[in-house]
Amino acid sequence: MTESINRLEEGVLATLLALMTILTFVQVVLRYAFNSGLVWSLEATTYLFAALILFGMSYGVRTHTHIAVDVVIRRLPKRAAKIVNLVAILACLSYALLMLYGSAVFVDRLMILGNHARDIPLPKWLLTVTMPLGFTLLAFRFLEAGWRILRGERETETGS
Amino acid sequence: MTAIFLLVMLFVLLFIGVPVAVSLGFASVLTMLLFGDQSLLSSAQKFFHTMHVYPLLAVPFFILAGAFMTTGGVARRMIDFANALVGHFRGGLAMAALLASAFFAAVSGSAPATVVAVGSVMIGGMVASGYSKGFAAGVICNSGTLGILIPPSLVMVVYGAITETSIGKLFIAGILPGIVLTLVMMLTLIVIARKQDMPRQERASWRTVVRTFREALWGLMLVVIILGGIYAGIFTPTEAAAVSAVYAFLIAVFVYKDIGLKDVPGVLVDASRVTVMLMFIIANAFMFAFLLTTEQIPQFASELLVSMGLPVWGFLLLLNLLLLIAGNFMEPTSVVLILTPIVFPIAVDMGIDPIHLGILMIVNMQIGLVTPPVGLNLFVTAAVAKLSLEDTVKASMPWLIVLLGVLMLITFVPWISLVIPELLFE
Repeated sequence: MTESINRLEEGVLATLLALMTILTFVQVVLRYAFNSGLVWSLEATTYLFAALILFGMSYGVRTHTHIAVDVVIRRLPKRAAKIVNLVAILACLSYALLMLYGSAVFVDRLMILGNHARDIPLPKWLLTVTMPLGFTLLAFRFLEAGWRILRGERETETGS
Repeated sequence: MTAIFLLVMLFVLLFIGVPVAVSLGFASVLTMLLFGDQSLLSSAQKFFHTMHVYPLLAVPFFILAGAFMTTGGVARRMIDFANALVGHFRGGLAMAALLASAFFAAVSGSAPATVVAVGSVMIGGMVASGYSKGFAAGVICNSGTLGILIPPSLVMVVYGAITETSIGKLFIAGILPGIVLTLVMMLTLIVIARKQDMPRQERASWRTVVRTFREALWGLMLVVIILGGIYAGIFTPTEAAAVSAVYAFLIAVFVYKDIGLKDVPGVLVDASRVTVMLMFIIANAFMFAFLLTTEQIPQFASELLVSMGLPVWGFLLLLNLLLLIAGNFMEPTSVVLILTPIVFPIAVDMGIDPIHLGILMIVNMQIGLVTPPVGLNLFVTAAVAKLSLEDTVKASMPWLIVLLGVLMLITFVPWISLVIPELLFE
């Protein structure tokens, strides 16, 4: 189960990065070799970029890649460290939920406005829905990390 | 009040171990909800908008190019070339390590990556030739910091994006300080090598020099493509980065054949992991910077400093001190992202050139990379050299004098940072 989720997450991340790179590269080649270009290329690249980051945030929590300052926490006795860790994870969770709320309002506003993206024939809200989805996943991963710390399975919520 | 709450909140969050990205974001959102008149909607918009900031698209592409370069044996060929050039001097292998780091820095935008690429081959090689492990680690650890000074540099991309300074100019401005630092370190090595009577190697034949140069050329061409392309106006830094990534992929897989097509997904995953880590910090830092601007916090600090009658040199010293302290606790991009929105408006008010400020910040960050408790280069060097962290710190310490000397030079002689961009762009 964990293994297949892992493969899925990594597959999505690798694909998004590869697509962005190829799109931008092809655009350069088209412009200089054929004096033409794809109008939607840049906009598509930026939405892929956003999707990569938003989808990757929660993956980063799971794989402990987010950078944190741990000089203080490493010097604390075990019990105190656990409490401080729980406070930290609570802050992380609150952040994720606040941003989830903000991005949900953002997408809702875009749905009401109902306009399309500049060069891509898709409504803007559909391209932006990656944001509330990303923060939902992030909140879920923080919740999971908090649960682990509470049960003493995990020392810190980040650590790199 | 707002400023105090924001900064205290930020530092409390950082020190209880909340990830840097979340600390920046949460402190900003909370401050805004309590004191500001913006909504969560505008925070979310600001966050999402970061991925639409065109220069920042260079971040994933340069990281990907670096990932192909590190796994693709580009470094090994640069080491062979550097060795053929300087190996016959006393202490030649150490000089070759330094030179190879400078070469690799010219294709990679990251300091720890430079340590891994050069160190994993060179530390073992130096130990086998009779150098002490500590000395080898010290050289690699410090010369690796050139990765963020010699273009391309991820820290420059981030600084340029947040201050709207030309990334092309920053890249070109980094060349001379990079050469100066390399030369100063080279001189230091010459002195140490004489004193300690270090080993030398057989002089490489002219043919070997040419052969190793041609082998290394595929990698070295990358910096020509990046700088030449940007300077000639053929492409933007972002496009240059994408071209580098594709170029690095092609030479790693088809020219040098060090990795096969089946290894490519793994490289992509590694690169996206680093990209997400950095961009998550950057997007939150943009919310933080937005809040600082709307609350006019830097203007307030600037007026305070000016009213205190602080001269420019005093400000520069204070700034160096602040950056050095911050660099001890955080990695370079985080420091630049947190402090730039605060100090940039003040510095510009005082008449300091944005390009000079950028280079100055980067040299400070180089020092932060090799000083405990949080010096990424120290951790990476310790791992690569299989040396304890304490011993790595001890081995690296003497070089601090060299770096601090060059920092003073860069701080008070803006000419070094500005002469090449002025010559080329005006």
